[in-house]
Amino acid sequence: MIRRVVCALAIGGIGILVLGWAAGLGWRTPLVPQQRIVLPAHDFRVVMGAGVEDGEALRVAAVGDDGDALQSIALDHLRAEDFPLLRYRFDGFPRTLELSLIFRRADAPADVQAVTIPWPGKGWTTLDLRGVPGWRGEIVELGFSEYATPQIVPQSVAFRPFRFDGAQLWSPSWRGGLAALGTAWFGYTPWALLSVSALGPALETAKTPPLLPYLVVAVVLGLAAAALVLRWRRPRLLRAAVIAAASTWAALDLAWLSDLHAKHRLTEHLYVGKPWPDRARLVPDQDTEAAAEQIKAYLATQPPVHHLLVASDSTYTKLRLLYLLLPLNVAPLALAGEAPLPRDALLLLYASDTWRYDEGRGLLVAGNRTIPALPLYESGAARLYRLRSTPP
Amino acid sequence: MSAMGLVAWLLPLAAGTALWLALDPRRGPGWIAAAFGHGGVFGLLLAAAATAVFARADTTHAVARAAPALAAFALLAGLVAWRRRRRAPVEPAPAEKIHKWTMGLVALAFASLAARGWLALREIVLRPTFPWDAWDAWAVKSKTWYLLGHYAPFVPMGEWLRDPSGAVYTGVAWSYPATLGWVQVWFAAGAGGWIEPAVNLPWFLLWLGLLAGHYGQWRALGLDCLRAGLGVYLLGSLPLLTVHVALAGYADLWVATVFGFGVLAWLRYRWRGERMQALVAAACALTLPLLKLEGAVWLLLMAAVAGLGLLPRRSRHYVVAGVLAALLLGFALGKLVLPLVMLGWVRVGPHAIDVPVLGALSIAWHPGAFAGTLASLFAQPNWHLLWWLAPLVVAWRWRRLRAAAPLCQLALLLALGLAFLLFLFLFTDAARWAESYTAINRLVMHLVPALLTLLMLLLGDRSPARPDTTPAPAARSSPR
Repeated sequence: MIRRVVCALAIGGIGILVLGWAAGLGWRTPLVPQQRIVLPAHDFRVVMGAGVEDGEALRVAAVGDDGDALQSIALDHLRAEDFPLLRYRFDGFPRTLELSLIFRRADAPADVQAVTIPWPGKGWTTLDLRGVPGWRGEIVELGFSEYATPQIVPQSVAFRPFRFDGAQLWSPSWRGGLAALGTAWFGYTPWALLSVSALGPALETAKTPPLLPYLVVAVVLGLAAAALVLRWRRPRLLRAAVIAAASTWAALDLAWLSDLHAKHRLTEHLYVGKPWPDRARLVPDQDTEAAAEQIKAYLATQPPVHHLLVASDSTYTKLRLLYLLLPLNVAPLALAGEAPLPRDALLLLYASDTWRYDEGRGLLVAGNRTIPALPLYESGAARLYRLRSTPP
Repeated sequence: MSAMGLVAWLLPLAAGTALWLALDPRRGPGWIAAAFGHGGVFGLLLAAAATAVFARADTTHAVARAAPALAAFALLAGLVAWRRRRRAPVEPAPAEKIHKWTMGLVALAFASLAARGWLALREIVLRPTFPWDAWDAWAVKSKTWYLLGHYAPFVPMGEWLRDPSGAVYTGVAWSYPATLGWVQVWFAAGAGGWIEPAVNLPWFLLWLGLLAGHYGQWRALGLDCLRAGLGVYLLGSLPLLTVHVALAGYADLWVATVFGFGVLAWLRYRWRGERMQALVAAACALTLPLLKLEGAVWLLLMAAVAGLGLLPRRSRHYVVAGVLAALLLGFALGKLVLPLVMLGWVRVGPHAIDVPVLGALSIAWHPGAFAGTLASLFAQPNWHLLWWLAPLVVAWRWRRLRAAAPLCQLALLLALGLAFLLFLFLFTDAARWAESYTAINRLVMHLVPALLTLLMLLLGDRSPARPDTTPAPAARSSPR
C-alpha cells in the first residue's frame, strides 16, 4: 500500500515537474502572481470602430471602415520582463473574429507591434508573452485589435457586437503559467490555409510549447517511476506501457476531436441553411470573387478571348482570380517571363500598384518592362487591357 | 439528390465492388469490408477512367456519356465475380473470445470515428473549396473541362503563348496528373453544375474506403477483429488524415490510400500466394503516378522492393550490391538517370537533381529543415503518437519482423520511402517546405497507412494461412 502511495506521489510530482518545465516555471516562481496590473476595459480608448462604456466593461458596437476594431490604453513605461503574463476576457466574442495584441515600446514608439493571440472563449484567457517577439524593454501602450479571421471568414459577415471586460498583466506565477499552458494546448484555433499541411501553430502567432513531447516525457517518466517503486517485472511493465500508450493516444484524440468540433462550429455558423449559390459567394476574398464575376460578365459580351493574362501584386489574389475566372483561357502573366506575348491577348491587372498605364505612350509600365496595350475596361481594382504588338 | 446524382454515386461503387470481388472472390474474415473499401476507391478511379475516355467531347453530360460503359463493365465484372465466388472456398473466421469491456472500448473508438466522420462530411457539404492547392492546382482542369463542356489540353506556358487558336490551356499545375480532375468532372456532371461540395464529396468516400479496405485486408492477413478494429481506429484518428477529408481537394489522401492498398495486396500475394492480389498491387502501383507526380517515386520504390522480393535468396545480395554500386557511381559522376513515370528522365548528381517537369533542385544540407521535420513528426498534433510509437513497436517485435519475409520487404519499402523524404527535405531546395511545414507532412502521409499495416501486423499474433483451394459446397454460408 505504501509503495502505491509513493508511486502516486511520484507520478503526481513528475506531472507537476513536466508542466512546470513546459510552462518555463522554476522552483522560485511563486504560486500566485506577486504583481498584477488591472486594466479595466472602460479605461481603453477606442481607436478604430465604435464602443461605449458598459459599467467596467466596453461594448464594442462597430468596426472601422477597413473592417477592424482597435482599443488601446497607455501604460507608464511598464517593464515587459516583469509582466510576462497577459490575461484578457471578452463576452460574446464572435467566432468569426480574430484577436491581435497590439503594443508599443518606449525604444520604438513609432513601431506598432502586433501578434495574433488565442481566440477568447468563456472566462479569462491567459497568454505567456515570453513567446511573443518584441515583448521586451518598456511598454508604453497596449491594445487589442479585432478583425475578420483571415483566409476563412468573409469580412461582410464577420462582425457582431461583443463586450470587452478587461485585461490584466501578471508577474510570473505557477497559476498564470499553467493557465497559459492550458490556453496554448487546448485553445481554439480556426482553420487556416496551412491546416491541410500541418496542425501546428501558425508561424506569425505567439510561440507556445507543444503538448505532445511534454506528454510523452511525462508518460515515460511516470512509467519508469512506477516500475522502480512498484518493482515491476518486464511483462507487467510492458502491459502498463501498452495501456499508457493507448490512454495517451485516446487523450490526444479527444483533444483533437474537441478542436475539430470547435473549428467546425465556425463553418456551421457561416454556411448552414444557405443555398449553394449564396455559399459560393461567401468566401473570404469576396472582392476578388465579385471582380471575377464582373470581368466574366463583360467578356461574355465581347468576341471570344483566346488568351487572358492576369497579374496582381498579391500571389494569393492572382491565383484566386485565375481559378474564379475559369473556364476563360487564363494564365498568370508572371509565368510568361520575358517571352513575347500573343497579339490581341487581354491583360487583367487586379489590385496592382506594380503596373501603371502610360496613356501618352499607350504602354503598361512596371519597372523596366513595358507592354503596349489599350485600356478596355475598368471597375474598382480591376483594369483590363488589350495587348498590342507596337505602341500606337 | 437527382437521379443522375444517384447514378453518379452508385454506379462507381457497383463497378468497383464487382471488380474487387472478381479479383478477390474469397469468402473469409473481413471480405465485406475489403469489398466495400476497395470497391469504393476503385469505383471512383474507374469512373474517372470512363469519363476521360467516353465523355471528353461532352463533359457536361459526363455521367450519361460514360455510365453505359461503366455499367457494362460492372455487369461483366459482377458476372465473373459471381462465378468465381461460387467456387471459392469458405475461410472460417477463427474463434475469438472478446470481453464485454473490450467490446465497449471498440464501440467507443468507432463512435469517435463516426463523430469525426460526421464533422468532416459536414465541412465538405457546407464550404466552398478551401485549401490552396485544391483550387489552385487540382480543381483547375476539372472546372475548366466541366464548364467548357469538353476536354482541352493543358500545355506549358511557352506553348500556350504560341498557340493562336485558344484551344489549349495552361497554368502553374499544367503538368499535374488529370485523374482526380476526371473524378471531379464525373461528380460535377452528376450534380448538374460546378458545385464544389459535390465535387469534393468523393474524398469522404475515399476516407471510408481507406478504413474499410484496410480492415478487410488486415483480417485477410490474419489479424483478429479486435486488432484490425484497433488499427482502423488508429488510422482513422490521425488528425492530418481527417483534415484531408474535411478540407477536401488535395491528392495526398488518394496517394496514401492507393499506396496502402497496393502494399496490402502485395502482402497477400507474398503471404497467401494469391496471384490476383499481385495484379491488384501492380495496378495500384501503376496508378500512383496518375494521381500525383510524387507517385512516380513510390512506383519506382515499390517495383524495386517487389523485384528484390521475387529474386532467389542467394542472388539477392549480389543484385543489391551491384545496383547500389551502380547508383553510387552514377551519383558521384553526376550521370545517374532514373526514368520516372510522369516526371521524365530525372538526372541525379552530387550537386543537383534535375526533374524535367519541376526544374532543378540543388543539393545541400539544410539544418533548419531538420528542426521542421522533427517538429512535424514529433511535436505538432499531426500524427498523435504514431512516430513516437513506430520505432518502439519495430524494436519490440524485431524477431517477428525478421522472421516474416513479406514484413521485411514492407519495412524496407517504408525505410526507403522515409529515406527519400528525409533526403528531399534535408538535403535539397525542398527544405523550405519542411521549414514552413507546407509539404513535409503531406508527403509523409503517403506512407502512413502502409506504416500502420506494418505495425499492426507486427502486433498480430499469427501469420495468415494460405487459402484452402478446395471448392466450397454451394449451400455453405459465407462468414462476415
